[in-house]
This record gives sequence, structure tokens and C-alpha cells, in this order.
Amino acid sequence: MTNSIVSTGMQTSAQGDGNDPQGPQVRTARGQNPVLRALEVIGKGFRTVWEVPKARFGLILLALIVLSTLFAPWLSPYDPKAGDFEASIGPSAQHWLGTTSNGQDVLSQLLWGGRVSVMVAMVSGLLSTCIAVLVGLSWGYIRSFAGEFVGFIVNLFLVIPSLPLMIIIAAYLQNGGMSVIILVIVLTGWAWGSRVLRSQTQSLRSRDFVTAAAFSGDSSWRIIFHEIFPNMLSLIINNFFGAATSGALSEAGLEFLGLGDSTTVSWGTMLYWAQNNNVILTGQWALLLAPGLMVALLAVSMTFINFGVDRLSNPRLREGKA
Amino acid sequence: MMELLRVENLSVEYDSPDQEPVKAVEDVSFSLDQGEFVGLVGESGSGKSTLGFAVTRLSKPPARISKGRVLFGGKDITTLSQEELRRQRCGGFAMVLQSGMNALNPVRTVRKHFVDIYKAHGNVEKKDYEAHSRQLVEKVGLQDSVLNAYPGELSGGMRQRVSISLALALEPKLMVFDEPTTALDVLVQHEVMGTIRELQKQEGFTAILISHDLGVVLESTQRVLVMHNGRIVEDAPSERILTDPQDDYTKMLLSHYGDPRAEHVSVPGLKPRDEAAASGSVGGTPSQADDEEDMTVTVTGVSKIYPARKRGEDSVTAVNNVTFTLSPGQSLALVGASGSGKSTIAKMLTGVERPTSGNITLGGRRVDQMKRRKDLRSLRSDIQMIFQDPYSALNPLHTVEYTLTRPILNYTDLRGDDARRRMLELLDTVGLTPVEQYAAKLPHQLSGGQRQRVVIARALASNPHVLVADEPVSMLDMTLRAGILALLDDLRVRLNVSMLYITHDLLSARLITDSIMVLNKGTVVERGQTAQVLQHPENDYTIKLLDAIPSLRTQA
Repeated sequence: MTNSIVSTGMQTSAQGDGNDPQGPQVRTARGQNPVLRALEVIGKGFRTVWEVPKARFGLILLALIVLSTLFAPWLSPYDPKAGDFEASIGPSAQHWLGTTSNGQDVLSQLLWGGRVSVMVAMVSGLLSTCIAVLVGLSWGYIRSFAGEFVGFIVNLFLVIPSLPLMIIIAAYLQNGGMSVIILVIVLTGWAWGSRVLRSQTQSLRSRDFVTAAAFSGDSSWRIIFHEIFPNMLSLIINNFFGAATSGALSEAGLEFLGLGDSTTVSWGTMLYWAQNNNVILTGQWALLLAPGLMVALLAVSMTFINFGVDRLSNPRLREGKA
Repeated sequence: MMELLRVENLSVEYDSPDQEPVKAVEDVSFSLDQGEFVGLVGESGSGKSTLGFAVTRLSKPPARISKGRVLFGGKDITTLSQEELRRQRCGGFAMVLQSGMNALNPVRTVRKHFVDIYKAHGNVEKKDYEAHSRQLVEKVGLQDSVLNAYPGELSGGMRQRVSISLALALEPKLMVFDEPTTALDVLVQHEVMGTIRELQKQEGFTAILISHDLGVVLESTQRVLVMHNGRIVEDAPSERILTDPQDDYTKMLLSHYGDPRAEHVSVPGLKPRDEAAASGSVGGTPSQADDEEDMTVTVTGVSKIYPARKRGEDSVTAVNNVTFTLSPGQSLALVGASGSGKSTIAKMLTGVERPTSGNITLGGRRVDQMKRRKDLRSLRSDIQMIFQDPYSALNPLHTVEYTLTRPILNYTDLRGDDARRRMLELLDTVGLTPVEQYAAKLPHQLSGGQRQRVVIARALASNPHVLVADEPVSMLDMTLRAGILALLDDLRVRLNVSMLYITHDLLSARLITDSIMVLNKGTVVERGQTAQVLQHPENDYTIKLLDAIPSLRTQA
């Protein structure tokens, strides 16, 4: 039976009961183990993302940021905390981005500080995605009173203005260090993702193969994680980059407000000290601009990657540039 | 007669990244005269829709016209720009899609759809908008009150009629109907096709009817083009196709049609079912069920009432006081148009839904009262389901091996190598050999028929006693159907399972079932031996269903 518009011609191969629809092209996957197959899927997914110019830009940018922070010990010219330089000087050959009012090298701080910022973004993105997956999938799959209850909690988190909540929690747990910042970001950031994943789960659960798995005797957990979960992986990756982006921004925001540990070096605390020392008035623009720009670039890179991940989840976008 | 459309050596390719482009249409030439009604027949993937899109210049990337010309009224339309094309569509060519009923904007009334067209083309003056659109909906057999309706308030058949009338709004000289009735219910299909035929006669436009169903095409058109693998293999007047087909492929297509009303019905690959064998298999089975648990399904006075969706609406009675038994080894057909409650019965039988009243038992177990997971699990090791759509019944990310191993691990004691052996054995049972190769495949590497075989193998994995097959062949091509039906029939006899075969296709019911129940709006209106009921139907509804089947007759 001919179905929708574009796909008809693509199905030319699905003919003839009994004969191989793709002929010699089919790689006989005999004895292939799941790990290899998973790697193949990941490779294919990566290629799809890479082929989108915007996403390629994002990937390169993110790789540059991550690499520069990873290699901070070798790249940075000075110890970021050593305050034995002349204070508050502008950019120069020795200090490309100048020094802080405590006499620390800004470029070194930028490279080292990225470690914390990138780490917080990734970890908080990962954790809030995990929660979103757990809550979203089970909430979408199980239809019972418990679902109503979960819905109530999620809606509660959605309607509470997250910035004031973040500030209150962070202020309450003052001096807990990075883990508190991550906790606060995760706590206020998971709800949106779980809502999105829940609606996708609901649409997938009505597909025949999910019913068929129930008929095959699989338990609900197995159905959720073996049938539904892999089919929405791209959405989950999407959600991860989204959450990591907002994590990076929230971290910078919280630290800028002085709610983090102001002795650690991160882009957020750099902004905090820059603001405290009125660097704009002293003409040290680099001190404010550099970390701000880095936070923005980190967020931009992940947002751009998501353009490519969109294409993973929507094959229609993959088929051709209409 | 004047020539309206001439297609010369047309080829259409689908570009795909990293691969050779796929040729969907190859070197096709034909011409149409003014006012001709031509059918374009082929199985899925034959390129018939691609051709339809190409002659109306609606092809979208990755489809690309790679060669040839399409002359419409002497003008080559393959080179027109978008704006020229848009103007050409007024009084030119129009297309009605299979999913045309979903092509309407749900938040705009039907009237607004018409006004949009008039505004875009300016072919009707503003004061005539109303009269013109009224006239158009009346032409397709609708009342003018539908102009005020939103698409969501109309039935599928009505929406398809609306989209036909929208296509008529520009007074096209050429109309392409791409499977206009395939997505509709059997009875509605029949009516909509009737409207299309009448319209074509009245308005005198040239029409191409694209369909996978040779019966529908022969019934309506004067000339038939048969497509196979992107080429036109036969181009002949409808009568000649029927009486004197030249191409082997056409002959093969024709051989898969039969009249369920006939005394003897057979299609290639399926042995004809005569009364003696049928009654023999029914009578012969109960004797061997001595040492086993009784696996008779008994449905007594079952009704299912769905509560009203909105306050103020009436509740819906999907199934009304249905009673039947299905003894081991028996095959029972459950037929009816969509909405007759067939699928609801299947759901209740498999414990997915619970009846509002009445009992369902499997042997000594009450299916209607099962609540606990454990009970449902044990029920499903005895009653299994074969799904309608093989494209959605398999998880695209799991190999055939994984899909088949799950029920083996869940319902049997086989583990490790034994489970794998059983999995391969199942593949062999459904005829997917070499088994090792198929075990490692992913669903997208299989054709529709092969997928459906995997679905059947999965249903057999738990050694069930009852199979519920919900329209198992309706999504498959005509020529693949026979194979799947033969497999089901063979398995039923060989494994002594009983089968509830749910369908709207009376021919397939005639081919593989002994008894039949005809459902209309949840009520059984006729039942009996399949051959008996279909040859001598008594109920009006059964007669209507039978009449809706396009018979292999040409329009006189």
C-alpha cells in the first residue's frame, strides 16, 4: 500500500516476500555483538550530527573549550591563584588579558576556571537528564493515580520561578562548594525535561511494538528501558545539551551573585570579583568580557549542537534540504 | 480526441546520501487524451505515486526528475518555475492524496479553505465565493452546511470528499487521485469511488486513478497502466487487461483476485477450502484435547460500553451482547466495517480491556476478571496476538533474534543455547530461511511480508493455544497476502491452535476460516459457516459489505 508522500519511493526496496530486500548491500550482521552494534549506531549518529554545518560549528567550539580547560595546566602561563603580579593592569605581552585587582593573571584564571564551569555544566546536565528520564518515562508509561501525583510535583517545579528558588536554596546551603551549586541547578532544572520526555513516552507507548512486548511477557521496567528508552535517545541527548546549557548559565549566574564559593576559580566567580572591584570603572574590560564571553560561547556551542541532534530525532529533516 | 498530457521518457530518482540514487521511475512514456479516465496500478514501491507526483510537479527532494519531459497541453512543465507552476495549477492539474482527509487545516472551517484558494488564484469574484463553494461541495455529494464545519467535525469519508471538491475549485483539466479511498472504511470507499466516477463523467476532466487495487481501477477506468519496478509493463484498455492480459506481472496480479461469493474460491499459494475439509478439522480436534487443559474460549453475553467523552455526550456501546465459542483448532472470522467493535472484542479477549458485562473464559479461567499481572502473563502465554501493522509492531532498534528471544525467556524454561535453538526453529516455522541470517537482521532490513512473518513467529514463541489475528494482511500487498494467509492456515492446522481472524476483507475470510460472524455496530447480525454465509447472505449489512467489494468487471 502506498503511503505518504516522500517515503514511497524510498520503499522501493521493501518488496518481494522471501527475497532479500536490499540485496548485497545488507551487511550480514552475523554474530555481531551488541557493543559493536551500539558503537556503529553511535558512529552513525555522530556523522548525522556532524553533517549539519551549525552542529559542526558547535562541536568544534565545544571541543576547543573542553580541550583548553583540560590542558589548562600546560596552556596557562601562570598559577591562577598566585597574586604576585602587579595588580589591575591592562592587557600586555606578559598578561594577555591583564591582571585582577589581587594581582592574578586573568588568562590563567580563564583557562583554569573553565574546568569548574564546564564540569558543573556537564554534571548538572547529566544529573538533571537522568532525573528527567526516570520521572518522564515512568510517568508517561504508567497510567494510574501515582501518575497524577507525579504530575502534581512536576507542575509544582515548573511553576515555581526557578531563579528565586535557586537563590534561596543556595543561600540556605551557603559554603557547600560546587556540589551545592550542582544540586541547586539539578533540583530546579529537571522538571521541564521530564515533561517533554513524558509526552514522547506517551506517544511511543501506543505503538504496537510496545503492546507486543507486553504480550511477550516483558515487565514494565523492561518495556520502558528496552523498548521505549532507545527510541527516544536523540530526544534525551537533546535534553542533555539543553540542561547543560542552562546549567552553565545558572552556575555563572549564581556565582556572579556571590552564592557560590568565591575562593574557587571559575568563570562565575571571575565575574563576581570583576563586578565587586568595579573593573568597568578602572577600564579593565577584559576581566568582565572574557569570562562572560566564555560562558556565552559554551552555551552557544551546545545550542548549536542541538540543531544537529534535532536531525537525529526527525528523519524528515535528514532526507534533504527542501 | 485531443491529447492533454504526454509523458516522454520520464525518469525520477531519489537521492540518498552516500549511496547511488534510487531509480523509482524509469524511462516511462505515455499520453492521455482529453477526458480520459486512466488507472495506474502497481504494488507498493512500484513507483506509481512517484510518477503521479512527477506529472503534477509536486515531487519534493530527495525525489528528482532526472530525465524526460512532461508535456501538459503541449507545454513542458518540468522546467517551469515555482510561480509559473502556481499559476498553471489554476485550470491545470490537481491532485487528491491518500491522506487528503488529513490535509485540511483543523483550525479553519471548510469555507475558509475554499476562500484561500479563490484568493490565491483570483479565479472567482468575491461576491461569488459563497455560491461557488456551495456548488462544489454539492457536486461531491455533501450538504452545504459542511462549509461551516471544522475538519474535525467531519468523518473521514466526508473530509476526503471535501478535499476532492477543493481540488475541483480550480477547474483542473487533469486530476490525479492517489489512492483516494485506501485509508477509508470499506463501505465508505465504495461510495467515494462512486462519487469520483460520476464527477469524472459530469465534469469531463481527465483523470488518473493511482491504486494498488486492480479491482477498484478496473471498475472505474477505461484504460489501465500497470507499473512494476518503476516501469510501465502494460498499457491497455480495461477490458483487454481483464480478458487478455499480456504481461506476466499483470496476469499474476489478476490471479490474486477472487469473489468471496463464488462457489469455489482459490488464489495461488492457498489450497482451496472445501466444506468437507472445513467441517473435518472442526469436528476432529476436541478428541485429542483429553490430557491437556481445555482451551476453549467462551464469550457469553459480552458488552463493552465506553463512558461519554464529554459531559452531555452519550456513552458509546462498542460491543453489544456478543456470544460465541472458539474451540481448539477452529478458525473463526470476525468481519465488519471499522467501528463495528471487532478490535474491542480482540482487546477484551486478550485482557487488554475488560468487558462492561458478560463473561469471557478460557477453559476454566475467567479472562474478564483478571487483574493481577501474573494472571495476565499466564493468559498471554496461551492467547497471543498478531498485529495489523508489521511496520509498527517491531521495535526498529532490536534484531529479530532479540524480539523472538524475549517471549521464549519469559514463557518457557529454555535458556541459553536451547532458547537460541528454539528461536531459530521459530524462524524456520514461519519460512524465514536461512534462519541464522534472518536472526541477525533489524526490522528495516526486512520487507513488509517478512516483518509480518517475524510478528507471527513472536506470537508462536509461547506455544499459545489461541491466536488473535487483527487484520494481519491489510497492510500488505495483494501478492504477499496469499503467502501470509497460507502460513496462518497451515500453522493453525499443524499446531492445533484456534484462530480468531479479524478482518474487513471478506475474500481472505473465505479463504482461511470455517465459521464467520458479521458484526455491525457491536451487534452480531449474521453467523454461520463462512462459505454458506458469503454465498447466501441473509442480513442486509452482510450484503452491503459484499457489494462494496470491487468485482473484476469493467465499467460497461
